[in-house]
Amino acid sequence: MWRLTLRNLAANKARFAMTTFAVVLGVGFVVASFVLSDGLRSTFGDLSEEITDGTDLVVRPVSDFGEPLPLDETLVVEVAAIDGVEAAAAFVEAPENSVQPIKSNGTTISTQGPPQLMFSWTEDDSLSSFTLVDGEIPDEPGEFTMDLDAAADHGFIVGDEYDLVTPGGVVENFALVGTTSFGADNATVGATLMHVSLDEAQTLFGTDGAVDLIPVQLTDGADAAAVTAEIKQLVDSSTTEVVDNATLTAEQAAEFDEGITIIGNVLLGFAIVSLFVSIFIIYNTFAIVLGQRVREIGLLRAIGANGTQIRRSIIAEAVIVGIVASVIGIAAGVGVAEGLTALFDTLGASLPDAPTIIAARTIVFALVLGIGVTVVSAVSPARTAASIPPIQAIRDGAEIGSEESQRRLVAGVLGLAAGIALGAFGLFVGVGSTLGTILVLGMGAVAIFLGMTLAAPAIAQPIIAVLGWPIARFMGKAGSLARENAGRNPRRTATTGAALMIGLSLVTAGLVVGESVKARLGDLIDSSVTADYVITEDNDSGLTPALADDLLATGEFEAVAGMRYDDILLAGEVREVTAMDVSVIDDLFEIDITSGTVPGPDAVHVILVHTDLATELGVGVGDEIPAEFVNGSATDLTVAAIYDDSTIFDDPIVPEQVFDNGGASELDEWVAAVLADDVTLADAAPTVAQLQALYPQVSIQTSTEFQQSFEDSVDSALVVVNALLALAIIIALIGIANTLALSVHERTRELGLLRAVGMTRRQTRRMVRWEAALVALFGAVLGVSVGVVFGWGVVEAMPSDGFGGSLAIPYMSIVRVVLIATAATLVAAWLPARRAGRLDVLEAISHG
Amino acid sequence: MTLLAPPLSATPAAISIAAAAVGVSKIYGRGDTAVHALDQIDASFEAGRFTAIMGPSGSGKSTLMHCLAGLDTVSRGSILVGDTDLSTLSERELTLLRRDRVGFVFQSFNLVPTLTAMENITLPMDLAGRTPDAEWVEQVIATVGLRDRTTHRPNELSGGQQQRVAVSRALASRPEIVFADEPTGNLDSTTGAEILDFMRRAVREMNQTIVMVTHDPVAASYSDRVVFLNDGKIVDEMFEPTPASILDTMKGLGN
Repeated sequence: MWRLTLRNLAANKARFAMTTFAVVLGVGFVVASFVLSDGLRSTFGDLSEEITDGTDLVVRPVSDFGEPLPLDETLVVEVAAIDGVEAAAAFVEAPENSVQPIKSNGTTISTQGPPQLMFSWTEDDSLSSFTLVDGEIPDEPGEFTMDLDAAADHGFIVGDEYDLVTPGGVVENFALVGTTSFGADNATVGATLMHVSLDEAQTLFGTDGAVDLIPVQLTDGADAAAVTAEIKQLVDSSTTEVVDNATLTAEQAAEFDEGITIIGNVLLGFAIVSLFVSIFIIYNTFAIVLGQRVREIGLLRAIGANGTQIRRSIIAEAVIVGIVASVIGIAAGVGVAEGLTALFDTLGASLPDAPTIIAARTIVFALVLGIGVTVVSAVSPARTAASIPPIQAIRDGAEIGSEESQRRLVAGVLGLAAGIALGAFGLFVGVGSTLGTILVLGMGAVAIFLGMTLAAPAIAQPIIAVLGWPIARFMGKAGSLARENAGRNPRRTATTGAALMIGLSLVTAGLVVGESVKARLGDLIDSSVTADYVITEDNDSGLTPALADDLLATGEFEAVAGMRYDDILLAGEVREVTAMDVSVIDDLFEIDITSGTVPGPDAVHVILVHTDLATELGVGVGDEIPAEFVNGSATDLTVAAIYDDSTIFDDPIVPEQVFDNGGASELDEWVAAVLADDVTLADAAPTVAQLQALYPQVSIQTSTEFQQSFEDSVDSALVVVNALLALAIIIALIGIANTLALSVHERTRELGLLRAVGMTRRQTRRMVRWEAALVALFGAVLGVSVGVVFGWGVVEAMPSDGFGGSLAIPYMSIVRVVLIATAATLVAAWLPARRAGRLDVLEAISHG
Repeated sequence: MTLLAPPLSATPAAISIAAAAVGVSKIYGRGDTAVHALDQIDASFEAGRFTAIMGPSGSGKSTLMHCLAGLDTVSRGSILVGDTDLSTLSERELTLLRRDRVGFVFQSFNLVPTLTAMENITLPMDLAGRTPDAEWVEQVIATVGLRDRTTHRPNELSGGQQQRVAVSRALASRPEIVFADEPTGNLDSTTGAEILDFMRRAVREMNQTIVMVTHDPVAASYSDRVVFLNDGKIVDEMFEPTPASILDTMKGLGN
């Protein structure tokens, strides 16, 4: 039997080549996601150690809730004085990308790539991973340094002066006084690392007299535990903690690892979708090839092979295909990893250079998945083949008897029901953990896909008849034959189409969710925002309050308010609270106040609460709510008003002074502004442009522009998702081409007859291509239907006071996707079509 | 050789020739291994006649028919259908010739399984995008007795019915010439006789031209003229044949 297995594989090389290719792509994607994340993990693991190198202990601020307050810089001296401490330094850092150097050509470095970071220069070498390479250290105001690679890459020259974008606006004429190296070989993984003196840092970042953390180096032989205990005596343990180097390194690595794991898992998820799609293609190939070998198998049975031998021989074929595909897939994976890196690069989110690491785990995983997927797909065709009776050997036109379609339909409907139940449970009830929810949703999706595939043959014919009507009507006889052919084997069409369904349903779901979110935002802005301008910070690092003041000072605006968010202990529970100039809230937003009034600009100890929270706390207008703050202070806030519209705010809202007094966030997350009565958008445009130039990292947008840029960001997220799903779709298209090639082979005599009675080559090719298009359209109809349901589920599951609850279907985008898939199918079908056209008429007619 | 057809130039316009082979050779292989499937064949097939081509297995009779029908190419000589020299035609022109000017009946697998009987019958015209002559198609179908079977698919028809559909398809577009390759080979004798009778009537009553390849003397006896082939050469011919006279000639060929 072994010899037979090998012979069969050899005889059907071309057919299995396509199957192998499908598995190779899937396995390659899996391998690539491991290779990429292993490489990144190694790079960033080294980085974590580098960052914390030389530091034995770190003193840093903590808080039970909210953003911790920075440490007082006097603590540095106190810590340094402790016995056993060799050195302690003050360290200040700017939020990621909040300080950006402006190149000599006036542009900034893209914030889409690695971060731009600025720190205070630590003069004590032993406490810093940085060394000066060229020039001088930044010890005077108006001086900065940059790491040597960033300086070289972005064209910054020591000795020249540059402008810096800072949280407080553009600061001009900073002298680049030197270049630095991070560690021995400046392993910055692409980041731009800058330094200024401590004083300058405190000025630029607005943290006068405070430090973000204190790195400590111990004298040789000092007891870390004893020093730690001494430091703890100096500080309040509720606001300050001391951690050792190992903890710090582990924390840093874990932080990087979290991001890398997310990237790796997302890629792995898409890879598994691709592999799942391959199952359908492998199944189809085995089923069709075995269908063509019925007589041969009947003969084997007749001369004494038993069913088990037949089955084993077919499973062995699958194992060999699986091994070959996995091995090629592992090799291809390295290439795919490069491709993915390039893809991210083109999409503007470049990944750092990372070593290519092929771990043993990767190889085992790839082999298990590749072989497993192939064998699982072959089990059912193998069982059917094993049940072929010997009599089939001598019967003419023998075919494998198909399972009762009724039973398949029932199984399909049950699968669908189970899938919908799982999906609903995952979306609306939830299982607590994200991973659990994803697993439940994934299982639900798989059940729905399998259910659809089982049920699809029952609906294939009518749907093909409808979809094929225009083709049959307007594409001549070739068109109507294509329609007949697409409908003649509903199971084959269903399985082939189902492979495409999977990818397209996920694309459609993404489009529906994206469109719904966009529509929802449009509604929000229309119904709840009266502001003319929305100002946001490009890197979410917060806006200086000076910006709001600057806007108001132009005189073009009626009202301007910056919104800050932080945690406050309110009525005994930590809650996120919004702070803003509440007196102008009515000018900027429609919040639908149901009782009470908007407090004036001088009111301090007041709070506005949403109806739901008022009910929860049992408070009404005039009641007081106790509040405690991150700096330890406490006060009672009087409810001034209760509001009902939760689209912009569902947090309690307090005046800015409440945050200032409590030590909560000083930076605005975003700013809203409404023009004065007699000022139009056009009038304000020059003023806005001037301000924009002062604050390059800020986006000052009209509410229409804001909505547009939000829609753009949703669209670009969808582009990434769709690019990753493209592989699943490509595999499905390969499947359609493969099935068509097998069908053409199977119908050789029929094609010969058609050619003999006058079908031209062009008509023959057209017939095959239109059949492919119809199978694709069928898959697309299934995919779009399932995808809309998926999308609807997700939209319903999203909170209705967030982005959920308003389903919008992007018809044009969906139609475009379907057309692209169909057009791609026409291309994929080019090969089988050409083969059909080139059949030798005489040989075809006499074909066995 | 007395069997040679009159030179084409001498053919009076009244007796038109539907198809002719002029000095046709078909050689497979090269040098020592070359096989002459057809060896210097000259033959013409008159319009409005039912001609049978007979011969033992390997005599070249099917090859000759395939060459005449534009399904195969010749190594030397030329094939004329009407006054068209097939050797001058491109692949596409040959296809269109088969579609528009020639009809086919094969031994088996004559129909497209996805099409109904009626759709199979009008297939060549549908491929050409022409509207079939409804009245004529109706008459053909009535003659073969398929009127109540036109909406059936091939797998719902008996072998004889399928072959009648095939013959109807060959006739429906009123081709200049119909080629039939062992049309009764897969049928029992009664059903076969019906098909042959119908083909003969098509020639007599509808003035159709039919060329049939067969190795069955009974089948050949339905024709007006039998051409005998052996080893790629025309070795004999017979007009108004009977099964017995054909059998005698065949025996003479050592079959």
